Amino acid sequence: MPAQKILLYPHPVLKKFCNPVPAIDEEIRRLTEDLVDTMREGPGSVGVAAPQIGATLRLCVVDVSASRLGRENNHGLLVMINPEIVHREGATIGREGCMSVPDYTGDVERATAVTVRFLDGEGTPREVEASGFEAIAIQHEMDHLDGILFLDRIVSLKTGLFRRKSYR
Amino acid sequence: MTRKDSLAHFAVTVVGKDRPGIVAGATGVLYRLGCNIEDSSSTMLGGEFSMILIVSHAKPFTKGRLLDEFRGLSDEMGLSVSVRPLTRGEAEYRAPEGELCMVSVYGSDKPGIVYRVAQEFARRSINITDLNTKLIGTKEEPVYVMMLEAALPDGIAVEDVAALLDEIKKELNVEISVRSITPVSL
Repeated sequence: MPAQKILLYPHPVLKKFCNPVPAIDEEIRRLTEDLVDTMREGPGSVGVAAPQIGATLRLCVVDVSASRLGRENNHGLLVMINPEIVHREGATIGREGCMSVPDYTGDVERATAVTVRFLDGEGTPREVEASGFEAIAIQHEMDHLDGILFLDRIVSLKTGLFRRKSYR
Repeated sequence: MTRKDSLAHFAVTVVGKDRPGIVAGATGVLYRLGCNIEDSSSTMLGGEFSMILIVSHAKPFTKGRLLDEFRGLSDEMGLSVSVRPLTRGEAEYRAPEGELCMVSVYGSDKPGIVYRVAQEFARRSINITDLNTKLIGTKEEPVYVMMLEAALPDGIAVEDVAALLDEIKKELNVEISVRSITPVSL
């Protein structure tokens, strides 16, 4: 299956709340393959969500195993259909960028660890406890399924550290 | 995908005593002229509000015209306005390549904190992309804080920067920490 073009904001699909996948049929299998191929194609990409290639369905893929930050701590390729975060803990701020919003990065707060429940590509229910970079990637990709971009989550201007001085 | 081919680009700075209405005033002038604000950063420094904007205009446009249009506002609000025309290549945004690192430097205030760090970076072609400094603490014990972001050239790692700054840390008797902030691409 070919890698698809990543849609760029302001494409309206990126701000849509996506529908649950009703059944894992041929079309969903094809979409899953497209997502994986698109992720493999993107330079340094560690995840792609269905709306990024134009499908408003709750389906995303994540694989941080080849990245410097995720190499040591990951679950390999995760195909996540109708994913739900059932537990989150901790908080960390990190700088993120997104293939759908080129040339911009921002500091975003994420849980340090998440437990996510989903159906895998075969329709088997799975539960994964992710932490570190993998947890961040999962949260970022799952945000896409709700039409949320990292721009909606930026917590501070870069200079936020300097806002508190009173001038008297 | 850019508007960078438009004919006129300017770097505009607006500085004046902070109060409500400066942003509305300055951007109102630009809006009425049909200028686009392409990039901008504004902040309060001391009691001054300062704006730096890269603006463009689709038609040929002179620096004089821009300054003329700002005159009413700058007189009324006591603002200093400067305009620098940019060549096409100058207006082009280039994302920094290589690793990005964040450096915090803080300690008792003394001359040369910014200069010494910047000098060592310049010698190694480390490109400072963002820099903030602030004087905090008390009158008796002033503390200087500097936060900067820098793009490292090929061949220089974050650890190398840390080692380099370790020397300056001793020389200036300040605290320095360095960490990678290369954005994760998702």
